[in-house]
Amino acid sequence: MKKIYSVGLLVCLLAACKPDLKTSAPKPGNADFSVYLAVGNSLTAGYADNSLYLTGQQNSYPLRLSEQFKLVGGGAFKQPLLMSDVGLPSQKLILGLSTSCLGVTSLSPIPDPQPVNWADTASIAAQGPFNNVGVPGIRCIDYIVPGYALLAKAGGIPYASRFFANPAARPLDEALRIKATFFTCWLGSNDVLLYATDGGQGNDPGTNVKPYADISAPAFFDAAYNIVIDSLTSNGAKGALMNIPDVTAIPFFTTVPINALVLRKGQADSLNAAYQGLNGIRFAAGANNFVVQDHNGVPKQIQQGEYILLTVPQDSLTCAGWGSLKPIPSQYVLTSEEVANVKAATLAYNTTIQTTATNHNLAYIDMNSYLKTLTAGITFDGAAYNATFVTGGAFSLDGVHLTPRGYALAANFIIQGINAKYSSTIPAVDANKYSGVKFP
Amino acid sequence: MKRLFSIGTALTLFAGTAFGAGYQLNLQGLRQLGMGGSGTAWPWDASTIFYNPGGLARLDGIQASVSGLMIIPTVQFAQASTGNVYTTQSQQFYPFNVYVGGPVMKGSKLAVGVGVYTPFGSGLTWDNNWAGKYFIQSIYLQSIFIQPTASYRINDIVSVGAGFIYAFGNLEVKQAIPVSNENGVDGQADLKGNANGTGYNLGVQLKASDKLQFGLTYRSQVNMKVKSGNANFNVPSSVASSFPNTNFTSQLPLPQVASVGVGYKPIKKLTLQLDINFIGWSAYDSLKFDFSKQTAELKNQHAPRLYQNTVAFRLGGNYDFSKKFSAMAGAAYDPTPVHDGFVSPELPDADRIVLTCGVAYSPIRKLTVMAALEYTTTAKRNSIYNDGNLSLDGQYQTKALTPGLGINYNF
Repeated sequence: MKKIYSVGLLVCLLAACKPDLKTSAPKPGNADFSVYLAVGNSLTAGYADNSLYLTGQQNSYPLRLSEQFKLVGGGAFKQPLLMSDVGLPSQKLILGLSTSCLGVTSLSPIPDPQPVNWADTASIAAQGPFNNVGVPGIRCIDYIVPGYALLAKAGGIPYASRFFANPAARPLDEALRIKATFFTCWLGSNDVLLYATDGGQGNDPGTNVKPYADISAPAFFDAAYNIVIDSLTSNGAKGALMNIPDVTAIPFFTTVPINALVLRKGQADSLNAAYQGLNGIRFAAGANNFVVQDHNGVPKQIQQGEYILLTVPQDSLTCAGWGSLKPIPSQYVLTSEEVANVKAATLAYNTTIQTTATNHNLAYIDMNSYLKTLTAGITFDGAAYNATFVTGGAFSLDGVHLTPRGYALAANFIIQGINAKYSSTIPAVDANKYSGVKFP
Repeated sequence: MKRLFSIGTALTLFAGTAFGAGYQLNLQGLRQLGMGGSGTAWPWDASTIFYNPGGLARLDGIQASVSGLMIIPTVQFAQASTGNVYTTQSQQFYPFNVYVGGPVMKGSKLAVGVGVYTPFGSGLTWDNNWAGKYFIQSIYLQSIFIQPTASYRINDIVSVGAGFIYAFGNLEVKQAIPVSNENGVDGQADLKGNANGTGYNLGVQLKASDKLQFGLTYRSQVNMKVKSGNANFNVPSSVASSFPNTNFTSQLPLPQVASVGVGYKPIKKLTLQLDINFIGWSAYDSLKFDFSKQTAELKNQHAPRLYQNTVAFRLGGNYDFSKKFSAMAGAAYDPTPVHDGFVSPELPDADRIVLTCGVAYSPIRKLTVMAALEYTTTAKRNSIYNDGNLSLDGQYQTKALTPGLGINYNF
């Protein structure tokens, strides 16, 4: 008996040597997270590095949210996962060595050399319904179009058709298959982003996506958005509505400098002779603004507040006289008028989103402000993030979509908004656990 | 136009603060350890070379005192934002002390001796992917002080002593670098270096009566200089030029300590003693790491520390049950030198409460065998590390259990 007592004492003593910090148990507040549905586009699907691939999906912000929701009663979360990690329908970008026209080899985004697995285009609808119905490329105005999945597939975009139970129905119908008790909706970026990434070649307003995407008319956007949210909330589900970011702050538009045309005196003189002061085009020794085509194809010198897109062929700038002798084609340039169109549409859409959130008493998540904070630079537990292409940490190699880390940070911001709205205490994600851009 | 990449995220090192209060080991003699670490007033045995060099001339002959200890420190961090709780890996460290000294001859007023002891040293290993990995993944340090000492008994009341300190040691710090490789795994910085420095230890011992003794000591600051440490970086090859393996220099001040102590025997069998330590932590105002090769990402690090001076209290007692057997008990309060906003995970320091106990047994007159146990706990300390951005918000707690064994032989 005495022996047992002394062993017990020893255990007590050893136990006292370990700290026993506890954190308070997360609470769901006045929302029900048992069935979570994520509605959205490429950002919601986990698209990154210019493609959709398995690892990207496994790092989507809805998956991060669902993991945190599980701490407050959330259930299983099913995503329409691809088999391949290469990318569909084209290879994702990876960092690798590429040699420029001048023979200089440097680290750049290059396509994954492995082949696309076309088996991934086969329908996996039988595994559904899915909790993440994010469809890369989808616009808000597409969400109420019957047969969108078939139209997109015909246009070479297989994302919806591969998991929609009924491709002939509206995307909204696919979303409604899950009887969600809680949903997030991040629709609307593509209603303006596709226009911007096409260099503003499309119309404002319009509904086309080919050959160049238009800006969706705000009234049309407003109608579609309200139909979507009315339907999603019809059974009493609560949720969070994310507004759309001002795309001109993302690396896709801010990485290529507008004044990287460095000339010697002789070169400047001969270019001046060639242009003869056309549209005020004027060169001097040193750094000059590139010559670009405006919306109507007329040459002009690019100005502050205008952007050259990340997709501009680098070798053409370096070796083929683009930006000097030959104006950079309009589809690689966002001029000030086009930027104004983008900003006006973004403002209009965000007004709709905020009003809808208020009307339905849903959480309104100001992702636009958050991404501005992120592009200005933040620190998360000792790791710095900003909007610098490749090295900023949050944006993937396409300069538009996020890295696993970036998506985790987005999830944290959404959680903050949900906690504030529903008095829940869902903990944040340890974003640094996930990777940034991967370096060879 | 060529795309040039640089790593936006520069390395920020916080290492080396490990030589802080959390790593100051008050374990230089087992008898004193058993009494809460007090020992300035009463020259118990040869370990007075550390506690009060002035007491060496009070010994009644040459003594040798040897002890070995095992520290098992555990730190826990509960992150407020994520609710995650992280605990350092279980590890053991082995401080030791060796002292030889006493009056040069029976009845001599002059005493000499030498002490070899380990006043600073320990380590922490966090999980490689824990929330604070960009601050610290693991830290390990060791220091050994060698102190030749002379002591002189001026009269029956006053004796004085002085020792010269040569200190040497080494440290190793590992920290994640926020650059993912192809498998999504972070890079890592590994900094290793040997350090050395010098200082001194002065003491006055006053034997007011057989019942009442006083001690006054001053241990100088020891600047541990790392003259040529090795910084190695494990990063993806495409960014290796941003993080070249290089040498570094650093300097870590181990603080000056002034102590006053009083010892009193209310009855013949019982000795009570109290020490008050005034610790000059404010010498530690910033931490500097200077690299011989620098890049845009690898810059010299000068991180503010702004430690504050502290006053620690140590109280203990020794009770002689018989000529052969005695027991010790004690407690100490050791407040933290770390300001709010500077509590970082390599030194998650907080006010310490120390409880100790020990036993001593003398099978023969000249030999004493001792065992002691120290239990250290900190208050739970809430902190946000404030490096301009709020990071690692949460709560820390440290606990450590330190058992030790020792012998003293009176020649």
